[in-house]
Amino acid sequence: MASHGLAYDGCNFFRQRLVLSTLSGKRVRIKNIRSRDDNPGLRDFEASFIRLLDKVTNGSRIEINQTGTVLFYQPGLLQGGFVEHDCNPQRSIGYYLEALLMLAPFMKTSLKATLRGVTNDPADPTVDLLKSTALPLMKKFGIDGDGFDLKVLKRGMAPGGGGEVVFTCPVHRTIRPVQLTDPGKIKRIRGVAYSARVSPQMANRIVESARGILNQFLPDIYIYTDHMKGVNSGRSPGFGLMLVAETLNGCFLSAEMSSTPQGQGDPVLPEDLGRNCAKLLLEEVYRGGCVDSSNQSLALLLMTLGQPDVSKVLLGPLSSYTIEFLRHIRDFFQIMFKIEVQKPSEDERKGGDKVLMTCVGVGYTNINKTLK
Amino acid sequence: CEEGEQGALRWKEGLKQKASEAFLRQQEAAPNLRKLVYSSVVEVGDSDGEEEELGGLFRVIRPQKSKRFQADALDCSRFNPDPCHNWDEEEVLNSIRDCFVTGKWDKSQDAATLLKEDEE
Repeated sequence: MASHGLAYDGCNFFRQRLVLSTLSGKRVRIKNIRSRDDNPGLRDFEASFIRLLDKVTNGSRIEINQTGTVLFYQPGLLQGGFVEHDCNPQRSIGYYLEALLMLAPFMKTSLKATLRGVTNDPADPTVDLLKSTALPLMKKFGIDGDGFDLKVLKRGMAPGGGGEVVFTCPVHRTIRPVQLTDPGKIKRIRGVAYSARVSPQMANRIVESARGILNQFLPDIYIYTDHMKGVNSGRSPGFGLMLVAETLNGCFLSAEMSSTPQGQGDPVLPEDLGRNCAKLLLEEVYRGGCVDSSNQSLALLLMTLGQPDVSKVLLGPLSSYTIEFLRHIRDFFQIMFKIEVQKPSEDERKGGDKVLMTCVGVGYTNINKTLK
Repeated sequence: CEEGEQGALRWKEGLKQKASEAFLRQQEAAPNLRKLVYSSVVEVGDSDGEEEELGGLFRVIRPQKSKRFQADALDCSRFNPDPCHNWDEEEVLNSIRDCFVTGKWDKSQDAATLLKEDEE
């Protein structure tokens, strides 16, 4: 099997495997993809993800067997540049963007990606959430500079889609190691209540009910209402809320909730959605740490790729996705983290146990970047 | 002679209790996350999906839903823990009060102490 690189089973953690394969240059073979399913093989959204990967790389070799149950991927070089991609609306743009965020700093030329599809759905992190949590997190690792931005040009709710976002990221040679061990106290809460193809009043109703809960803790709360009209509102109606708590040390904890897509289950009231989303944010604050739960793997990846120095990051409880990501990092980069549980002291009211992750970076340098 | 024998056997007294105490102590200690993460996962073999032959020609496959390691589950980074706290209760709300600037501060960072130090 040595000639085939690493081998995995099943379709879960699909993006992790392909992203880590691309960064490490190790070939990967995934077999038994939904082999026992009535409808076996890769789904359309996974095919769409592979096409996106093919667009940002140069010289990748992708082989899929006839039934789509076996995938072989030999990564090429990360090319970057202008990329346009119609993301399959089975998954929201967040699904594709999460992987792109991990790859973007290591391109040959700066990436400018225009992604079209579903901007907000209940399953994946929405583009609004990634914009306000993943980008500041990456800045902590020294990924910054002109044109590091994520813009929502058109909103497209599930299932119809029709949204458009532009993600631009400059290239970086190396990643700075970080010490994020103290999140500090939460100073303010910001948020976006968005609505498309419904009454603009929906967003206001969401804001009202969310504030009702959050005001018990803080006075400094501002939730923007974002109502897109006409061609900018996509093909499906819907609304939702994204909340971000910002700490004194510049860490971001987030929560979000979207209305159920049209024709898929019971409709939700904007008041309930606002209240439940506020409670989700409190849950996230209880878990705590310097990185919120949906960005754990991004933080761990950047720690792994950092310069050969010690990086420390305090996280909340590890999600199962993150645990699998740690295993994959070991497979692709031979890095194992030191994992310590930190219990809050008796008289502190700071939520649950935290996890301190420590590692020494592999000293990854961007070999794709052109020297000037 | 008998006394000596008793002394030798004394360590056996309450062995079961000692063992259970030691076990509980270990349980209370921080769960070894590193072991949880990096120890090898129990791979679910092919035999897990029940197979039965129909007329010696077809095989019926019934996939089991309760696989611990779900190889074909949805690839999603969202973290949704099952036991959510009840955020309507005052006690639960109080458990995170100090995460906010409005909560109690450390002695070294408390505004009142800092002001006093400035005055001195």
